[in-house]
Amino acid sequence: MADYNSSFQIQERGILKKLDWNFMIPIIALHVIGVVNLYSATHGLGAVQTDRLFVSQLFWLLQGWIVFIGVTLIDYQFFIRAAYVLYALNLMALGAVIFFGKVALGAQRWLDLGFFSYQPSESMKLALVLVLSKMLSQKVFPDGMGMKDLAFPLLILIGVPFLITAEQPDLGTAMMLFVIGSSILFFVRIRRAILVALTAVLLMGATGAWFFGLRDYQKNRIYTFLDPNRDPRGKGYNSIQSKIAVGSGQVIGKGFRKGTQSQLEFLPERHTDFIFSVLSEEFGFLGSFFTISVFGLLFMSMIRIAGHARDKAGALLTIGVTATLFWHMFVNISMVIGLLPIVGIPLPLLSYGGSNMLTTMAALGLVSSVSYRKYLF
Amino acid sequence: MSDYLPSDEIEAKDYQPRYRMLYSLLVVTMAVFAMRLWYLQIVNGTELRQFSEQNSIRETKIRAPRGIVYDRNGEVLVENLPGFEVTLSPQYVTNFEETAEALGLALNIPTSTVMQLVQKSRRINGAFRPVRIKENLSRDDIFNIEILKQDYTGIDIKETVLRAYPLKENGAQFFGYVGEVSKRQLPVLNEKFAARGVRFAQGDLIGTSGLEEVYDLDLRGRDGISVAQLDAHGREAYGDPMGLLGSMGGVTPALPGNNVILTIDKDVQEAAWRAFVEGNRIGGAIAMKANGEILAWVSAPSFNPNEFSTGIASDVWRRLVNDPDKPLRNKPIQDHNSPGSTFKPLIAITALAENVVTPNTIVSCPGVLRFAGRPYHDHLRGGHGNINVTQAIERSSNVFFYKMGIALGIDKMFKYCDAFGIGRKTGVELAGERSGLMPSSDWKKNTIGEEWQPGENLSVAIGQGFVLSNPLQMAVAYNAIGTEGKVVRPFVVKRILTPDNKMIKEFEPQVIRDMGDMNGEYHVKKEVFRAVKEGLRLVVNGERGTARASKLNYIEIAGKTGTSQVMNFSADQIYSSCEARPKHQRHHGWFIGYAPADKPEIAFGVLAEHSCHGSSGAAPVAKAMVAAYVAKYHPEWLERDLRKKKDGVPAPASTSQPATPVVDGPIEGE
Repeated sequence: MADYNSSFQIQERGILKKLDWNFMIPIIALHVIGVVNLYSATHGLGAVQTDRLFVSQLFWLLQGWIVFIGVTLIDYQFFIRAAYVLYALNLMALGAVIFFGKVALGAQRWLDLGFFSYQPSESMKLALVLVLSKMLSQKVFPDGMGMKDLAFPLLILIGVPFLITAEQPDLGTAMMLFVIGSSILFFVRIRRAILVALTAVLLMGATGAWFFGLRDYQKNRIYTFLDPNRDPRGKGYNSIQSKIAVGSGQVIGKGFRKGTQSQLEFLPERHTDFIFSVLSEEFGFLGSFFTISVFGLLFMSMIRIAGHARDKAGALLTIGVTATLFWHMFVNISMVIGLLPIVGIPLPLLSYGGSNMLTTMAALGLVSSVSYRKYLF
Repeated sequence: MSDYLPSDEIEAKDYQPRYRMLYSLLVVTMAVFAMRLWYLQIVNGTELRQFSEQNSIRETKIRAPRGIVYDRNGEVLVENLPGFEVTLSPQYVTNFEETAEALGLALNIPTSTVMQLVQKSRRINGAFRPVRIKENLSRDDIFNIEILKQDYTGIDIKETVLRAYPLKENGAQFFGYVGEVSKRQLPVLNEKFAARGVRFAQGDLIGTSGLEEVYDLDLRGRDGISVAQLDAHGREAYGDPMGLLGSMGGVTPALPGNNVILTIDKDVQEAAWRAFVEGNRIGGAIAMKANGEILAWVSAPSFNPNEFSTGIASDVWRRLVNDPDKPLRNKPIQDHNSPGSTFKPLIAITALAENVVTPNTIVSCPGVLRFAGRPYHDHLRGGHGNINVTQAIERSSNVFFYKMGIALGIDKMFKYCDAFGIGRKTGVELAGERSGLMPSSDWKKNTIGEEWQPGENLSVAIGQGFVLSNPLQMAVAYNAIGTEGKVVRPFVVKRILTPDNKMIKEFEPQVIRDMGDMNGEYHVKKEVFRAVKEGLRLVVNGERGTARASKLNYIEIAGKTGTSQVMNFSADQIYSSCEARPKHQRHHGWFIGYAPADKPEIAFGVLAEHSCHGSSGAAPVAKAMVAAYVAKYHPEWLERDLRKKKDGVPAPASTSQPATPVVDGPIEGE
């Protein structure tokens, strides 16, 4: 790509030149890793059905890039302007899930749109980032945000989708919405006293939720995390099998499609939530370390883009997207390597899934758009 | 273009430390991940790799079919039958109770039985061994299980080879049975067999008694192994579709065990067993060719070894162990009793060989003999009058042999009886043979620490006192009398063949000692044997013989009855009716002998426990064995007899009636 790039010695910057390749290359690299890895994960012994998943993921990948390029070429200001509309539409979709949604794995998360099952809680993350960026960029908080400043974004903008998602029930995604939203608020800066107070309230809320709000399967996941060997054939099974898969990869891994844990279906959800275990098993420490390093490079380039953004909205938008992807990666990998309980959070760019792929690429497209525009003045 | 605030200079500057903070947050996160990956993949990698391999690769044993056991004419005595069994792998079961219930319903066995089987297996074999739930599946069972397999994990149907014993209870203690090596036995067995290059694994089949045990190394063959991959549901993926196994993969076929040809004759064996079953007899019997080849080996009551090859239920096992008639004992070599009157011919040989009497010496035999102030009774109140040694054997006179015992002393009796094999292991291949006992004065001094008492000579001379023997020993001794001196080593295996029936080993008859060898240590003269043999012939064929009822017209059987007291009774009780006592206080009956009387081809030893009399309890078994032998190997003798009858020459013994009451108890109608 670099050669191709350097051959373009045109005075006026072309599209390719204007793209930030520090940002693009990690995305492409992760996609390549993802495709190779997903091929392995979907071509195990019982491959009759999962084989189809691989092909459809290639389709989602293509769609994702079209969305990415499209969003890059559209000024992100357009999306900022439309933020409330997008946010409202997403809230409606979330509400619709409760009434018309498809029940899968004991929870309603998908809307069946005929051609594909759409998961509104995925795009809600992006809508939340947009709406917060818009709202917060219109104000200045020289001393950090106070109670009054926080009330609307925290209780309404974050709170409403949080409650709806938690009700589905999809606590993982709900927590993710909360964490993404709070990350942006935190970046904009909250007054210290308030931060302390909020943390205290949060802890009390969590305690309350444990006793009154959490469903048994959610509690079980946490129990299991605390002691995975408690019931190896039951709830701790996924956690143990995942650790075995990762560890058994050793330094260089068992080799492509040779991961016994994944090929022989010891790993559940290996093409979605546990895709990183497949990678670690088959490519070992070298492969998994390389992959997280690529993620690291991607996030660094995104933080740099935020720093060079044309306006505050662009900076906040970029930070919001970075936070979204970072927390996804953080939670997913932590769970796979046994640092966090098992929650159904996919790994961006690597896991199978249409909604996730499209939202991620759209989000990255927004960042790309921010980076694209910095050259306009 | 924008209605929004452009980046405020001051605020933008304000943001710079926050970006730096984000960078460091990112670096810390990546470092934590890298450390965790290092810990899992490099520190714990080897261990987790091993774990993952156990997780997914299963070695399945392909059981080698054990060798087939044939009788001397190639009739199958022990074989293998194909079958199907259903197993449950506990670690793949998601809901144990539900699965147990479903399995129970499908197989028509109680849920609790399924649960017990699994719990028992866990205790014995650990949690990861598949548990056999039912063997010998019927077509319906297989169909039902195949349906269950759709809904429940951990259920498997496996092909098996079952050890089958077509003779069932007949000879069960002789043929033995096989069992699985349990986790606990494993170290013991491996130590024991290390020198012979055999390594056992848990669940291997091993012969645990009888021939199966003794010839296990020949019969067992070598198990094969098939290495297969499993998915998390325990389903086996056949072959190596993913190429994960590499050189580990594939199938090493099983090597069948060697076939064994026995000296046993199926017909004689079955005749003996039938005689035991029909007479509801308890005890042991063997028939042996004059060269030591065992023709029949029966112990009753018995058990069905086919139940053992499918894993015996604990209640059945408990019943067998607690049965007072000891069905698990191999009675022909494990039940030792006083030989009683069957011992007398050996004492007769001793007395003749030591010149205490000659064949023609007449000895006075009253009903009671006083020795050292004590009365020694004959079982016939009036005594036998003046008789010679041949008559003494025919009538089983006690007093005659008391006198021989007094004259000989224990050490001369020991010299000959020991040479005949009493108190010695015969050396037959079967495990668990006990030696019995032929006492001597040295033996008593060394083990009991007392001097030999002269009175004890009288007990030994009539086969009581310390003397203990078993049917096989006695048969070997009588065979030596019949063959005029040849003490043979009895044996049961004639040949060992490869699975495709090529000869590996052949076993030859072996004469341990020739008592009649005039240059040997014992140099017992022909006349001595002849006198005793005549006595034994008369026991069955004579007018006053104690086993007249077992006479056959077409072959002269020679033998001696005997009773072995289970308890000691006072003198007046000796004559009380044995049948009136509770079963386990009744005497054991013996009948030992050979046929034909002049030139024996077949010797036998029969012990009928708690039968009161040798004549009615034990002799019919011997008669049945001899009849089966003659019918098979000497049909011409039968024809000769038939011709004789047609010519109007009546066989003398068949019409004659006993002139006097019989010594060894009344003869019941036969």
